[in-house]
Amino acid sequence: MEKKKINITIDGQSFQIGAGKTILEGCREIGVKIPSLCYLKDVSSNASCGICVVEVKGAKSLVRSCVTQASEGMEVKTHSPAINQARITNLELLLANHPKDCLICERNGNCELQDLCALLGIKETPYEQTKPVEKIDDTSLALVRNPQKCILCGRCVAVCADVQSVYAIDFAGRGLKSKIATWQERGLGNVACTNCGQCALVCPTAAIVEKDDSKQILNDIYDDGKIVIVQTAPAIRVGIGEAMGMSEGALVTGKMVAALRKLGFDKVFDTQFTADLTIMEEGYELIKRLTTNGTLPMVTSCSPGWIKFIEHFYPKSLDHLSTCKSPQQMFGAVAKTYYAEKMGIDPRRLVVVSIMPCTAKKYECKRPEMNSAFHYWKEKMNLQDKENFYDVDYVLTTRELAKMFKLTGVDFENLQEEDFDHPLGISTGAGVIFAATGGVMEAAVRTAYEVVTGSPLKNLDLKVVRGFEGIKEAELDLNGTKLKVAVAHTLKNARVLLDEIEEGKSPYAFIEVMTCPGGCLGGGGQPIPTTWSIRQKRADSIYREDSLKPVRKSHENPAIKAIYDEFLKDPLGHISHELLHTEYVERGIY
Amino acid sequence: MNATVESRVDTAIIDEIISRHKGKPGELLTVMEEVQEASEFKFLDDASMEYLSSQTRVPLSRIYSVATFYSFFNLKPQGKHSLIVCRGTACHTKGSKILLDDLALLPGCKEAFDSGETTFTSEDKQITVKTVACFGQCALAPVVAVDGVIYSNVTSEQIKKLLQNLQEDNKDENFRLS
Repeated sequence: MEKKKINITIDGQSFQIGAGKTILEGCREIGVKIPSLCYLKDVSSNASCGICVVEVKGAKSLVRSCVTQASEGMEVKTHSPAINQARITNLELLLANHPKDCLICERNGNCELQDLCALLGIKETPYEQTKPVEKIDDTSLALVRNPQKCILCGRCVAVCADVQSVYAIDFAGRGLKSKIATWQERGLGNVACTNCGQCALVCPTAAIVEKDDSKQILNDIYDDGKIVIVQTAPAIRVGIGEAMGMSEGALVTGKMVAALRKLGFDKVFDTQFTADLTIMEEGYELIKRLTTNGTLPMVTSCSPGWIKFIEHFYPKSLDHLSTCKSPQQMFGAVAKTYYAEKMGIDPRRLVVVSIMPCTAKKYECKRPEMNSAFHYWKEKMNLQDKENFYDVDYVLTTRELAKMFKLTGVDFENLQEEDFDHPLGISTGAGVIFAATGGVMEAAVRTAYEVVTGSPLKNLDLKVVRGFEGIKEAELDLNGTKLKVAVAHTLKNARVLLDEIEEGKSPYAFIEVMTCPGGCLGGGGQPIPTTWSIRQKRADSIYREDSLKPVRKSHENPAIKAIYDEFLKDPLGHISHELLHTEYVERGIY
Repeated sequence: MNATVESRVDTAIIDEIISRHKGKPGELLTVMEEVQEASEFKFLDDASMEYLSSQTRVPLSRIYSVATFYSFFNLKPQGKHSLIVCRGTACHTKGSKILLDDLALLPGCKEAFDSGETTFTSEDKQITVKTVACFGQCALAPVVAVDGVIYSNVTSEQIKKLLQNLQEDNKDENFRLS
């Protein structure tokens, strides 16, 4: 059925637009630009900023186009002296309470408020500050909130509530004292925040940003006494190009590796290696649960936002989580044991840096239990407790890495492509697709099928779990054994599957959950903006990379075979248990 | 002294309040209002709010949002007596700022209001002074309320007397103006 259209006049010209749209969306559809600030497609439009005002014939005053439905025969003006003046005044009023420190701001050059000032030709800020100065919230290991830079657009509140169902923040106070706050203003680090960083991804200014760890990393790189190695998550190769000025979703694996080497990392490795390792451990764990009457459904544990979410809100279901650490943490543990031993490096000199599309990874690497390598070496090297080190030392987001590349003069787009170092840089197509929602499931099936049936899987593309539908399900046939599986992205969708589990009604054996919309490629640490069309382009690149990989099944990765032969011995074996598996804790919702 | 812990509202009382309003429109506001009323020091303490959140599944951030939006809700223990000065436009033009300043007799009061607070409780928890935007009694401006009783056309002498009455807390004398 053809969608219904309505006739509308915009600035004297007649147009047809889809029925049921707001004036703003209708205008964007036909290429008429109305400036806006607080509105964000698919996230929120709470009409707080007053920038998108237009004139509608017959209306008593200017209307906000982001919340006004277009209707048949409507006559709209998108610019006039009154409209232009209203937009400028509204923006000037916002600027009264916004710092003018653009030159030294985190979001300098990537700020919607700054762009809008340029667009509307703001030349002065005539109004005095009226709002009290609120404290910076740096209680979180992942995110920093600066209320002074907040323009109260409400996007962060909307994404936290409507997309993630976490509700860590909300509007508080009234009038001049209005602000975004956590429960009792305890700060993000002291409430049930999952550190997913979607708030930072949608923030138009620098009111919420990731905690910056880049300075210490540069110091370590310049320190000759340290060996600094880096791992890159699958989603970085389809995100960092964007952040360096290339096209949306550009696939830049080789350039990224070259750039990291130029930056001064001693070795450039790939989290995809430990993604493959995760598939081995998690695949065998699933088979063990299936054959020994273990807790089912088993749910993936790669996504640290999701882990903290279930620890806060569904502690009764923690047994359903796979005990596998995330690929990032497996990498740290393996790098500071297997790799250090193999290369004869003192693990205390080894610095492991992760490049992640994720802010929650900053929190994950500082979880107190994430020091398996220290325990591994403690007796062997007679280490003191005070010498404790984490498996992963630092996590940088895609955005932070882009800043480091710029700082060090990396000419990203023109670099010759290079390959990852061996052995922790060798990976398969199964590791690549961890970046997209459904990817872990697809990768797991490629291995589980062959392990269970003993025969090769003919069609490697499990298309039924690809795509951006909120919850996807599939029934797999492992040579007669039927396995019902589900894939969810966003915590709101995860909640649906968890409620089923807690009600004892879950029909699944295996569930994949990713915290962020679209999976890691839409992570809270990815370039801004991240929209659904950009996520799609990143996903296309991810599946292209997978299809181009000579090896596409984790268990066929030669470096994975080698690490089991030389070090781990068997999946779920003793060393795996010590280094690659973990436990979870019950957290309150406060 | 941590008043928050000592003065939490009994969970059985909160349960009863929740069940009485379950499913009604605006139930959160009504429940919060009654929980505050049930509190010994007439405020919403953390533990009671956390319990309320766990029982109603209304997120704590949202409860905090509501509690900080309405000046009716108190997040700190309130004094035994309340003295509310109207700071609406009519009362302001009739000198309600002077009345508020007169309450400087209460140590710390003037400093609190000058720094932008809208409520102040004396250290001995005897008196809470608050300001409100309007009582809707503009013809009688300036207006103050003592423990819910409204006084009109209040003068400096009268408000000082009212304050003195409350400080002495001599029951029947509390409401006398002279």
